[in-house]
Amino acid sequence: MTEEELWIEAAREGDKTAFGHLVEAYQNPIYNLAFRMLGNGPEAEDAAQEAFIRAYRYLDSYDPQRAFSTWLFSIASHYCIDRLRRRRINWLPLKEEIAEPIRLASASPNPETVVTERDREDWIQELMSTLSPTDRAAVTLHYWYDCPYKEIAEVLDLTVSAVKSRLYRARRALAEQMEGEAYALQEG
Amino acid sequence: MHCKRANNLMMARLDGHAAEVEVRELEEHLFTCSACQARWEKMRALDQLFRSAPMVSAPSRLHARVRARIDRREQARRAIAGGLALAIGTAALALLTLVPIGFTLLENAGAAPALLIGGVETITQLMNLIDPVTRMPLVLLDRFAASLVIVGLGSLAIAVALNGLWIATMRRLRPVGR
Repeated sequence: MTEEELWIEAAREGDKTAFGHLVEAYQNPIYNLAFRMLGNGPEAEDAAQEAFIRAYRYLDSYDPQRAFSTWLFSIASHYCIDRLRRRRINWLPLKEEIAEPIRLASASPNPETVVTERDREDWIQELMSTLSPTDRAAVTLHYWYDCPYKEIAEVLDLTVSAVKSRLYRARRALAEQMEGEAYALQEG
Repeated sequence: MHCKRANNLMMARLDGHAAEVEVRELEEHLFTCSACQARWEKMRALDQLFRSAPMVSAPSRLHARVRARIDRREQARRAIAGGLALAIGTAALALLTLVPIGFTLLENAGAAPALLIGGVETITQLMNLIDPVTRMPLVLLDRFAASLVIVGLGSLAIAVALNGLWIATMRRLRPVGR
């Protein structure tokens, strides 16, 4: 039995210290997933907290045949998707969000400007904000976690072919927005 | 090759899933199709942009906050369970003391048989209850003043003791270090 399996078993019996080990082990991946999907730190922190609380609450329903990380990613992804949908309903008309142009390409006066880390992060967040909530999750799991299609499908409760087509469309749409400075970044 | 297939091969190549023969096939197509060549450049740039972005680290307080929320949640659950037990206990105590008193009062007012006989007589006798009920406080004071005070004080003492026990238990179970 691995250390993680021991922690899970102990946590299921109410051992909060064991659950604390799981939080420690997964806090960065879960926070990063939420950050990439939601686009800002405070919301990502709330979402990561909520994901762990839900995991603790529903630990009894976790099937040990599945990878714990997949189960946890699933909880966090669905929470972020719901949050993005609520945000969209509350604040942003769908069309406006999708139609938002990426201005970085033309905003820079010098095409050879070195793209700083901050610029890169802003740029990524702007690009991500043009995707639907589920596509954001799929893209995040693909790029930051190197998850195979099958695992992304499990996390998002989709079929493998649905994941493939979503990723295909999302990546093409994102690529279409890559202009001028993309090449500056490549050089930098 | 169609451009659609070229697009699929671009994704496969970027993900490292393309076979050597597919890579050659793609390169040949890119050589002849300027639209796909332009898209390929963009796809590569996107891939590089996303793959170069590091994992963002969680704030150091996240772990402690999760722990604090779990503790609060469990404390709330215990408080609800304790409160519920206290409420049920108090209600049971109240029933134990009040039912005999109430029954005695009804008996003295001549209404108790009505509950046992049934039929028209029952209704008539229940109607007659209105009068005794209005007189009940006086009867209560007259006949049971002393014993009611004792029972009331006793119930109060037991309720206070149960509440004290519950609060002490809650304090003992409260997590430390916050």
